[in-house]
Amino acid sequence: MVRMDKFKTFLAPFCGLVFGLFILMLIVYLTASLPIFEREGLAIYTTNVWKASENPQKEFYGVLAAIYGSIYTSVLAVLIALPLSISFAVFVIDYAPKRLKEPLMVATDIMAGLPTIIYGIWGAFVLVPILKEYVMMPLYEHFSFIPLFSFRPVTGYSYLSAGVLLGIMVTPFASAIIREAYRSIPYIYREGVYALGATRYEATKVLLGYIKPAIVAGILLAFGRAIGETVAVSLVIGNVFNINPSLFAPGYTISSLIANQFGNAYIYKYMVPALFAAGLSLFIIGLIVNLAGLMYLRRFKYAR
Amino acid sequence: MNAIETEDLHIYYGKNHVIKGVNLEIPEKSVFAIMGPSGCGKSTLLRSLNRLLELNEDAKIKGDIRLFGKSVFDMDPIIVRREVGMVFQHPNPFPHMSIFDNIALGLKLNRLVKSKNELKKIVKWALEKSALWDEVKDKLHEPASALSGGEMQRLCIARAIALKPKVLLMDEPTANLDPVSARKIEELIFELKKDLTIVIVTHSPAQAARVSDYVAFLYLGKLIEVGKTEDIFENPKEELTEKYLTGRMG
Repeated sequence: MVRMDKFKTFLAPFCGLVFGLFILMLIVYLTASLPIFEREGLAIYTTNVWKASENPQKEFYGVLAAIYGSIYTSVLAVLIALPLSISFAVFVIDYAPKRLKEPLMVATDIMAGLPTIIYGIWGAFVLVPILKEYVMMPLYEHFSFIPLFSFRPVTGYSYLSAGVLLGIMVTPFASAIIREAYRSIPYIYREGVYALGATRYEATKVLLGYIKPAIVAGILLAFGRAIGETVAVSLVIGNVFNINPSLFAPGYTISSLIANQFGNAYIYKYMVPALFAAGLSLFIIGLIVNLAGLMYLRRFKYAR
Repeated sequence: MNAIETEDLHIYYGKNHVIKGVNLEIPEKSVFAIMGPSGCGKSTLLRSLNRLLELNEDAKIKGDIRLFGKSVFDMDPIIVRREVGMVFQHPNPFPHMSIFDNIALGLKLNRLVKSKNELKKIVKWALEKSALWDEVKDKLHEPASALSGGEMQRLCIARAIALKPKVLLMDEPTANLDPVSARKIEELIFELKKDLTIVIVTHSPAQAARVSDYVAFLYLGKLIEVGKTEDIFENPKEELTEKYLTGRMG
């Protein structure tokens, strides 16, 4: 027992360090953004203005457009990634020939680990023109009376481009979680559902119900990755302070805003606090999404 | 009439020859036990009867299996599985579904009910038949994972019989249960055989003697002996059978 306790005293500081760093970071974010809250209050989050001035009296920042863009593109990304990753997982586990299974899984795992700038350049030079030409223009021309399609796609840099690119980028993450859960469903449940006279499609539906917690976890991970992604998004979103319901309009996201503005932020008195406050909003969104996910998952605490 | 007949049935897993030329005739509305030591192929044989074995891509079946005179290989496997229900060794109700939904699932999948009322009626009937109604009638919409092992197994029986199958396959249904729960299942078997044919796999000669009308003894994939249960137990013709029954083997 004595040896055990020594080990414990050895480990405890590391645990403290990890948790302490997290708390420290939160404190830094709060204190660093304090000046902007003192000056503007919550207007930093509720207005869409970006007035940088060498005269601090005239400075005013509101990051609503970026918050809107972050949520818009991340939701799009999840909507795209979810069907892709579920279909991929089911196909690889149930249908892919044995020789192909491993290579397919390895390929997606490599996709997950690629530097995001690789997706960014591909997105800017390949994906955006294709989307503009074959998706946005036709939809705009025929359906521009629908608000979603109402913005004339001039450059192609838009929420849609960012959402699609993010969807592709986060699919390997979501699909890895869903795939592993789907693969580890005990065989007795597979037999059980087929023994009831289910077709393959019906059996898959029932078995996906069994791994719902993993699917929710996959969604959370995908959303978290999408909302935090910076470089690739800033190459395809357009980077303008804009709030528009249309998929084809350019916009901003919090992370691309910070990445684009921090270089000159030191010139201005309130811009650094404004960027910290923007970062803090990502913190808060991440926290809310994860808490919601955890609450949902608690309903699924069943014995396996 | 025979509910199930197998003719020169061979089953292979890859190169492994696990069932070697088995001929069985299983009379309607009887309890037919397949007994034998672990690894003799009894579960494999059982899974071939409702074509569940075909989920395993490595399994190859030769010979014929007839369900009421009709080859199951000429039938849609989904229809075969609807008419031949199955209960497994590990109770496997779906833990993410309620008790009610577990039973309703098969009925919905096979589109056997037209209205909610009818569904409720059949669920109740199946639970009564499997002697579970009184225990669960107040918690039908709670998760099935909250039940005890014995209750789960009876839920699985209810789930199977809700489809009104003609045959019920049971793969060592009491192997993972305590003695009291096991006895309840055995009592249930007596009740159920009034309406359907039961094929039960067991490694326990005592259980075979208690529940079955006919018994087949399987050893290393071969059918050693088959006949009326009392004949086999009182007067086994083969030495291997006698050895097994007296506990000198397996």
